[in-house]
Amino acid sequence: MLEHRPLQHHTPLSNWKKMTKHPFFGIFLSLIVMIMIQLLGQIGAIPSGVVDVFAIVWIYIIIGLGFTLLLGYTGLASLGTAGFIGVGSYVVAYVLGTAGMPLIIAFALGIIISIGLGTIVGFISLRIEGMYLAIITLGLSEILVEVFKFWTQVTKGLVGFQLDRYNILGFAVREQEIYYILVLALVLTMFAVLNIINSPTGRAMLSIKNSTSAAQAMGISILKYRLLSFIVSTVLAVIGGMLYMMYTRSTIPNVWNIALSLNILAAVVIGGAKSIWGVSLGTIFIFGINQLVFARIPFFTRYGNASLFINGALIILVVMFYPGGIIRMFTDLSRLVKKTYHTILNKVKEYRYGPEE
Amino acid sequence: MDLKNNLNPTLRIAERMDRLEKKMAYHENYLHVIEARLEQKRKKKMEKRKEAFREDLLTYEIRTLSKDAFHQAFIQPEIDKLNQHYHLKERAKKASFHRKLKKLNDQEKQGLTEAYQQDIQALHDEFNEKRDQLIKELSVHEPSEHTLRHSMKDYEAEKTRVQSILDFEEQALIAEDQIILDKEKVRIQKTLDLLKSKLDALKEEHKKRLETIKQDLPDDVILRLDGLRMQFGGLVAVSDLSFDVKKGEIFGLIGPNGAGKTTVFNCITQFYKPTKGDIYYRDKRNDIINLNNYAVHDVIHQGIVRTFQNVELIWELSILDNLLVGAHSLYQTGFFHHLFKTRRFQREESVLKQKAIKVLTDLNLLAYKDFYPLGLPYGILKQVELARTLMNNPQLIILDEPAAGLNDLETERLIHTIRKIQKEYNVTIFLVEHDMGLVMELCDTICAISFGKMLALGTPKAIQSNPVVQEAYLGGE
Repeated sequence: MLEHRPLQHHTPLSNWKKMTKHPFFGIFLSLIVMIMIQLLGQIGAIPSGVVDVFAIVWIYIIIGLGFTLLLGYTGLASLGTAGFIGVGSYVVAYVLGTAGMPLIIAFALGIIISIGLGTIVGFISLRIEGMYLAIITLGLSEILVEVFKFWTQVTKGLVGFQLDRYNILGFAVREQEIYYILVLALVLTMFAVLNIINSPTGRAMLSIKNSTSAAQAMGISILKYRLLSFIVSTVLAVIGGMLYMMYTRSTIPNVWNIALSLNILAAVVIGGAKSIWGVSLGTIFIFGINQLVFARIPFFTRYGNASLFINGALIILVVMFYPGGIIRMFTDLSRLVKKTYHTILNKVKEYRYGPEE
Repeated sequence: MDLKNNLNPTLRIAERMDRLEKKMAYHENYLHVIEARLEQKRKKKMEKRKEAFREDLLTYEIRTLSKDAFHQAFIQPEIDKLNQHYHLKERAKKASFHRKLKKLNDQEKQGLTEAYQQDIQALHDEFNEKRDQLIKELSVHEPSEHTLRHSMKDYEAEKTRVQSILDFEEQALIAEDQIILDKEKVRIQKTLDLLKSKLDALKEEHKKRLETIKQDLPDDVILRLDGLRMQFGGLVAVSDLSFDVKKGEIFGLIGPNGAGKTTVFNCITQFYKPTKGDIYYRDKRNDIINLNNYAVHDVIHQGIVRTFQNVELIWELSILDNLLVGAHSLYQTGFFHHLFKTRRFQREESVLKQKAIKVLTDLNLLAYKDFYPLGLPYGILKQVELARTLMNNPQLIILDEPAAGLNDLETERLIHTIRKIQKEYNVTIFLVEHDMGLVMELCDTICAISFGKMLALGTPKAIQSNPVVQEAYLGGE
């Protein structure tokens, strides 16, 4: 007769749990963290060198997010990323420094060039796959580096291009202001990539990676989606290069070499190629940890390259034991903690109350 | 054949009609989505209101309870709690007693045992005392006999009052929703009318053009292979194969291993381009097209969907997302809609999601909606692949060995499912199969091939008694 259910109360905590599961919550949180780092740097709580390291890491996350669409979703490996970043940096350098035109023209030019480059590589990818595609993109990247070295009228050659302070919309900007532009660009990229991943486009890319024949039978054009993913990743790489030039105001051809491409590949693979948080984590790990942690330990400052060994060992460990990336380690860890907590609780209970009757 | 020269003059109109029809289907379905969403919202609201009234009602309800019911509802749970508490206490005492007992000699053991028994007795007494006290305390609220009839009336009155309030509120909400729905209906009807007038004009034109074409394909034939030949280098996989598949039938293609059955399928769906020969197909608009003129990913737009011999699902997507991949050709929004997650894309997604859920419920697969294919039983995966083909409003479904790797029970279920699909979705089914029982039970027409050449074509009975087929299959007498 009497209904025996307890009265439901909507506590603030239950809403909180629902909120944290929303994907935008993570982006909002990271936005706060990024702004906090800059503010702490301005107060003087953390050295400005550290803020610079983080700014560069945000740029590489933008590039990595483009790369994850390519590697994690369409299943294509490219080693030409560094060359594309270099193109972005030189476009800004030329347009702002030599031509003296406003920044918006640099962006328009950069995006047009990147779409062209992406289309070329995308068409190549139709014929060639896997390792050979990586080698061809590597070749393309090396050609671009040679162009940076020897087209001295535009790039100023091996010595590199140093940019003076410049104006945006008539305002003279310092690093602090450009930092906020970086943060804005990163947040927008995160939203965009998250939208693509959870849309038919992302699903089509994943199905091409999993089974090309099934994808074709379902009406997914392989040409279209390979081109699309190459174009998106190239555009993001070039934008990353432009932001890099805006922040550091210097570019040297030798920076845009194969090591950088490999580092980006490693960052995406280590973090977890299928989630934006995995990529962010991997990038912080590869590009940030060296200068933030190892540079502060006396042993590593004495033997300069020792930190690289640790990096390499960690890469091997992660790839061997966590093929899904570090991001998987977190879920596994939380599961492990819960499991051990329950076993300990049971042990205590058994000791106190005796065995179960 | 005259067909070859007269192909595709109406194709462009057909494409435009296709697009219009997809748009209309989307608008029609969207109304249901709104309806469902409004109802869900309303239900949630009413649940909340009910919850708010429940506390009031409870006080009235308690007064109507008889003695036993009151005891059952209020006192018994308290007693249970107490009982559990004391039970744990006893267990703890027992455990510590046994631990101590191991360390002692015989004399001390006896003393300890006595003390333990006393302890336990004391515990039991304490429990009994506490229970009695609890019953006494709680019984104060117990309803007395003579108020019972009176309070029952009160309770009924209160209940009807609350119910009337709730009903009134629900009516108001329904009326509110109806206004929104009517508005949407008018809006959608407007666009539908516009689209329909466009479609009618196109249809008229299409009909006129169709009349000018001489069509040799009989009306009830949906697919015709005409002298199909497929050659890989020196190896001839299929040579001069011709047959018709009629509309609405289940057509079976059989043959020993390596006879070229899957090659025929791959030729039809354009995974291989045939070396020679044509594949004519009658599409939804009675247009006859040559499938050889289409790219692999365009074949699905004509209403032909296939499955694969080894399950080719997308392992990194959930079952529901796999079905949405199957509906890829139905999406009309492009990359930029997806990039900015526009409202139009969201609506389209919700319409197609609803459709996917409908297909899953039709095939009794709804329980697996959020699972990932990895780790699910093979029979289920085969069914999911079948479900995926249905997402695209197909006309012709091509099944490549649907029963391969299934046990008898799963095969039986599969036969049932295929029959159901054929009836409910009104499709033609073309299948390759090794399981003779399934083929003989399901198919209306069977074609037997061996080494790429046709052996026989006919009803299952005719095929069974055909000596040539028997020889190819069983190797003679």
